Parts: sequence; C-alpha cells; structure tokens
Amino acid sequence: MISSDVIRGYNDTIILYLLLDNESYGYEISKKIKDLSDDKYAIKETTLYSAFNRLLKKGYIESFHKAETFGKRRTYYKITKAGRQYYQEKCHEWELTKEVINRFIKERDH
Amino acid sequence: MDTIINYLDNLFAPLPKSQQLEQLKEELLTNMEDKYHELKQAGKSENEAIGVVISEFGNIDEIIQEFDIDIEVKKEAIPLLTEKDVDMYIQTKQKTSKMIGIGVFLCILGSALLVLVLQLIEDGFLAGIAENTGELFGLIPLLVLVAIAVGIFIYSSMKIEKYRFIDQEGNFELSAQVRNALERKKDAYQPTFLTSMIIGVALCILSPIVLMVTQTLNENASSYGVVALLFFVAIAVYIFIYFGSTNDSYKKLLKVNEYSVQEKKENRIIGAVAVIVWPLAVCIFLISGFVFNQWHINWIVFLITGILFAMFCAAYSILSEKK
Repeated sequence: MISSDVIRGYNDTIILYLLLDNESYGYEISKKIKDLSDDKYAIKETTLYSAFNRLLKKGYIESFHKAETFGKRRTYYKITKAGRQYYQEKCHEWELTKEVINRFIKERDH
Repeated sequence: MDTIINYLDNLFAPLPKSQQLEQLKEELLTNMEDKYHELKQAGKSENEAIGVVISEFGNIDEIIQEFDIDIEVKKEAIPLLTEKDVDMYIQTKQKTSKMIGIGVFLCILGSALLVLVLQLIEDGFLAGIAENTGELFGLIPLLVLVAIAVGIFIYSSMKIEKYRFIDQEGNFELSAQVRNALERKKDAYQPTFLTSMIIGVALCILSPIVLMVTQTLNENASSYGVVALLFFVAIAVYIFIYFGSTNDSYKKLLKVNEYSVQEKKENRIIGAVAVIVWPLAVCIFLISGFVFNQWHINWIVFLITGILFAMFCAAYSILSEKK
C-alpha cells in the first residue's frame, strides 16, 4: 500500500490519465485506480473529490450530469484541451522527477 | 447502509449548509453506496463492507481545505429544505387555503342568506314573522357564519405560522434535486391552475346574467337573482383562493419573480388596507340596515367595496412597480 502523502502530487495526473479516453464518474475512477495499481493504491474519497474540485477550478476537466437507471443521478467528468496539455506537462515532470530521485536510490542487493 | 449515511451526516453536520456541499455529500454517498454494494456482492459481510468503505473515505479536513469552507464564520443558518419539508409546506398551504376559502365562502353565503330571508318574508313565504324580526332572522345566520369564518381564519393562520420562514420571509434554500422536482411539480400544476382561474373568471362574468334573467322574468324576483349571484361569486372566490394560493406556494418555494422584499411590503400594505376597509364595509352594511332599513339594497356595499379594493390593489402594485 502506498501512503497518500507520497503520491499526493500525482493524484491529478492519475485522474487525468483515466479521463484521457473516456468520460467517467467518481466511483469508476477510484475503482480503476485500485485495479490498475494492483490494489497497491486506493484513493480516498475525500482526496478524489478535492482533486475533482481543483481540476474543475483550473478548467482541466468539466463536469456534467447523467441520469442512470434507477433514477440515480451521477456527476460525470470529461477532460478538456487544457487538461490534456497539463497532463503532458505532468508526464514530463514525472520523467524528470524519476530521473533525479533515481540518482539518490541505491540499488538494492539481490 | 444506514451506518454509512449516519457517518456522512455526522461529518457534514458541523459544516455550513450550502448547495455545493449538499451536492458533494450526495455524490460521496452515491460512490460509497456503489462500493458497499460491490463489496457485498463479492461476498463480504455487512460489517466488513462498511469497514472498508469508511476506511477508504479519507479525511473531511481535506474537503474543508479544498472547498475553502469557513467553519468559524457560521453565518446565520439558512435552513435547507428537504423534499419532505417542501411537501409538508405545500400540503399545509393547501389545507389552510382551503379553510380560508371556505371562510370567505361562508361570509358571502351569510349575506346571500340575509337577502334570501328578507325576500322570503316580503313574499310572504315565512308567514307570521314580522319584518323587523325577519331582519334578525336573516342577521343571525350571517353573524354565526361570520363568527365561524373568523374562527377558521385564526386557526388556519396558526397552522401556517410554523412555515412563516417560507411563507413570509423566504429565508430558506433548496438543493438542486428538490428544486428540480419542485419545478416539475409546478409545471404539472399549471394546467389545473389555469383551468380553475378560467372557471373562476367565467363564474364572475356570468353571475350577473342570473340577476338579469330573474329581473326580466319578474321584477320582484330580482332579490333571488342577487342570492344566486352572490352564491356564484362565493364559489368563484373559493376557487381563486384555493388554487391561487396553491400556485403561490410553488412560486414562493421557487422564489419565482424573486418574491421580493418590495412585493412583501406591498402585501403588507394591501393587507393593512384590507383590515380597515372590509370591517368598515360591514359597519356601513349593518348601520344602513338597522338604522335606515335599507336591507333590500345595502348588500351592494360589498360589491362596491370589492371593486374599489381590487382597483386599489392593482393601482398600488402598478405605481410601486414604477418606482
């Protein structure tokens, strides 16, 4: 399990990645994160919705309502053009971060 | 599932009530429900499922920070109406307006009865009763009906008092969901409202016809025409009050035309004038009857007052709109 402290700066990147191809909603996104990380990272509800709020405010995603069966109304999220651009920037940033941090990581002995 | 709802309710309880937070809470609940049902389907026990859902909820402080919520400055709490509150208000409003409608109906009916009794005596149908005692006979039902009506008015105003903050002050908020449901209900109500208003207006316009017909048939029968006229007017007034204030309750809830301060002030002034004018009309009616014995014609005081009052209301609201 990854602690939420460590991953904090990359929640936005993860969410934007999951919205690249499809619009989606809260639970689906948190489930995908769990699945794709092989259960190593479970995003907290509050973290997810804080991220949605932040991304919405910056205009990286848009929200809209969609009625589901059984009358449930869900908020769906869709990535914007600015969001795609921001995602690319974050990807570059990660490459750089990885490269730098790796220089301080000692190869473990096998 | 109740555990989860309670958990969320408790976390959100200290936060100020706003539409944004209410939506967020609903959204969070939907997510948690989905997660809970999936865990249950995967064979987890009730307790395990709830445990996982709550442990993965996170920290409410994160929300407080992100959404810039000021807990310290808890403004004067504006109540957020639930669907139940809204339904209760509309129901109460319908009930009280039905009562007020009946009260006004009774008042008009009372004066119709008076005219009827007097005419019956004049035509000799109530033999053995002198005209002076006849006046009393007519007045007793009028006074009794008015007394009942006043009782009904007081009772109904006490009943609606609980909803003063909606009815008078407009001091409430609606969540988007409740608002949408209400808008649909209001739209669904419009045909009923329109039909009833048309029927009411038609009754008012057509009622003098009865008078004309009876008058042409027999000049002496015109009093019976007056009775019928008042009866029709009473029905029309009931319709206006009942359907009108039901429609009003939707408008107040949705703050249509922004049930504004100005409008409220206007209602207060019109109310104040009504309180003076109508009892005055009753005084004139009673004095002209008892002192000057004008029972056969003095009912017209009410018609004149009604028309003048309607003119005053219309003129006042037009003038105050201009300002």
